[in-house]
Order: sequence, then structure tokens, then C-alpha cells
Amino acid sequence: MNVDRLEQEIHDLLHAETASQTFLLEGLEGRISTQLAGRLPRFGPFGFLRRLLAPTHGARVAQFAVVGATAVLFFVGGAFLADRLPFSQGTSPAGSAPLVSAARSSGENQVLFVMPAPNAKSVAVLGTFNNWEPTPLTENKDGIWTASLTLPPGRYEYAFVVDGRWWGQDPLADEYVHSFGEYSSVRYVGKAGDGV
Amino acid sequence: MRTLAACAIILVVSALLVAGSPASAASPADVTRAIEALSLPHGTEIIGAFQVGFSQGHLLPEETLRLVERLAAAAGSPTDEDAILLVIAHALQEDLPVAMLSSKAAEGLARGVPLPVIARGLALRERLVAEVRDLLYSERIFRAQEGVPAVSPALPAARFDLLLAHIADSLGDYVEGGGSPWNGDVILAGVASRLTLLKGSVIPAEDVDLVLARIEAGDLTRAVLEALNQPRK
Repeated sequence: MNVDRLEQEIHDLLHAETASQTFLLEGLEGRISTQLAGRLPRFGPFGFLRRLLAPTHGARVAQFAVVGATAVLFFVGGAFLADRLPFSQGTSPAGSAPLVSAARSSGENQVLFVMPAPNAKSVAVLGTFNNWEPTPLTENKDGIWTASLTLPPGRYEYAFVVDGRWWGQDPLADEYVHSFGEYSSVRYVGKAGDGV
Repeated sequence: MRTLAACAIILVVSALLVAGSPASAASPADVTRAIEALSLPHGTEIIGAFQVGFSQGHLLPEETLRLVERLAAAAGSPTDEDAILLVIAHALQEDLPVAMLSSKAAEGLARGVPLPVIARGLALRERLVAEVRDLLYSERIFRAQEGVPAVSPALPAARFDLLLAHIADSLGDYVEGGGSPWNGDVILAGVASRLTLLKGSVIPAEDVDLVLARIEAGDLTRAVLEALNQPRK
């Protein structure tokens, strides 16, 4: 039922109601709904699918596009976040260093800092481990910047600086803190379960 | 002729080696000279406190020199620079751990935060450290004197300071993040989470257990309120 026909049906029902000698405002909405439901066209088991896929429903194509894009986003985001799971064994695009977190420790307190920034000219990481002096990251051919640091067990606050702009919210950090009105990421090295 | 060439090569290599070697570590005297160059209103007091800090191992000359150099490079008046170093000096005079204060100052300078803002943030964190120390004392968790064997219930100085610094820093992060002092349970959860994550690897497990068994949410609320209500020194 298209919009014009629906409006016409409602108009007819209202007209019939008001023309009646026993017109009552109370319960009008319910009565209209009931009568309207009786006039709705019925579809078979595949009717819904046929309506959804009907070429005349251009708007539904756009809906499909939105749903599809959302699904892709979820997939990409899920794959990205899955690296953080303990059973995950992801590898970096370069295929050498483990890409399990922007600051993830491996066996010997080795922490890999990773920042995807294909168009950046310079990327550095600053934190409590280097007294907030920039340690430059190195770019690979895919625009992924990395730096591997050996850190003793502890709690480290850090942020990236990409072309002079601070980036304090590493999506895979252990936690975040507010510092001077900005975010810093926090990484625990050697915590229980890290195997460090 | 060959001997001459060999000597020349040795000279060149030696010169390159000297030029390429890292600069010698900074000394307390270097820090003193750098602070004197800033002409700070409380320069003498700061230098005195820092010298004690160096001798007791609470401050490292190299990091402190770098901090002073960054302060000198920052846009600020001598009064603003003085306020930042004075907070650290006061903490040293009160025998409080200062590593996290010094690091926080370095962070602020790296971020280009205005010096008065850094000084205010540091002052609050210093008050929090003092309040947490008093709280630990009130809970019969004491700090043994430097170099003196710890006798129960006192913890060795380094362990006590580590515990104190992490609890106070957790409170500082909470307050700076806009948390209300009245949410004692949330503050306690933050402290417990941090200590638990560091338990065993950084902080001895028994120290973590001791603190978490004795400190309650209300204690932390009181400590934060006291720190917030104290006037600046």
C-alpha cells in the first residue's frame, strides 16, 4: 500500500465515522487502526522479499547500501579489534613484527608501537618511558609506522605525535587518562597474563 | 712518510670517536648552574632541595637538567618557572616521591601547556601525595628510614614510595579526569585496578594486599577532599 492510498483509506474511514449518527471520539484511533488493518493487502510467504527487492523501490536500494556499509564497517572494526584478543595471532602488514596492539608487549618486555598514518611525514611516540621526549617511528611501504621498545615492567602513559598533532587515544590501549585536558593512553607492561 | 700517515689516521679516528661518544652525564652542579641562569625568585630554596634530592637518589641530575632546559625554552615568566620547580622542591623537602611529579611536568612542557596550568596541576598532585602518605600512616602502613632495615609494620622506603606514588597518581588522574571526590567506590576501584595490574611484577604482592585490605572508599574520598581544599603553598 503506497502513501497516497493509505491516506485515502484513512480519509474514507474517518468520513464514514463522522457520518455515523453514533460518532464517538473515544476509541476512534483504535477503530480506525482495526479497520485499516482489515483493508491492508496480504502477501504470501515471499511477498515481503518481493516488495523489498522490487526495482521500483529505489529508496530501499539506498537502505541496502547503508546496511551493507555498516556491515563492512563492523567486519573491518571487528577484525581490527580481534587482534587484541588473547587467542589472536595477527601479523603486521609487513609480515614480520606482531601487530597485536598499538602498544602490545611480547615475550621480553618488547613493546611495539604502531600507528597507521599513510600520508604522514613524521610520527613519534612520547611517554613516561622516554620522559616525554619524542622517539621516532619508522614507516613501512604500507604507511604503517612502528617503533619497538624494550621496557621494564611498569605502567606507561604515552601519546603519538603525527605531523605535530597529538594523538592520545590509542584504540588498543589498556586504559586512558586525562592529562592537562587531553587524553593519554596507558600500557601496562609485565602485568599478569602478559607472559612478561 | 708511512708513519706520518698512520699517525694522521689514528688522530682522525680518535677525533671521530670522541665526537661520536655520548655527552657525559649531567651532574648536580650542572643543574644548579642551569637553575641559577633562570634567576628564579626561590632559586636558592629550589637548588637546596634539589641537592638533597640528588644525594638521596630521589632525583636524577640528567632528567632534572632536561626539565630545567625545557622550562627555560618554554614561553613563561621566571615566576611561572619558579612555581613549577618549587612544587617539586616542596615535595622533596617533605620527603615525598617526586618522579611522577617531574614526569608530569615534562609531559606538560612537551604538550605546550601554559606554565601556570602545569604548576596548578603539579601542586594538586603534590597535595594528593601528601594526603595519601598521611592516609597510609593512619592505616599503620609506615615508611622505614632510608638505609635502615624495615621492621614490621614499616615497609622499606623504596617500596613505600612506589605504593604511595601509584595510589596518589591514580587519585590525580581521577580528579584531573573530572571525577567527583564523593564517588569513593569509583576511586577505590581505580586504585585497586592499578595496583592489581602491577601486583607481583612492579609492586610486591604483599604490599598490594596490605593496602587493599586496609584502605576503604571513604578514606580516599577524604584524602581527595583534603587535597582539593588545601590552599596553595
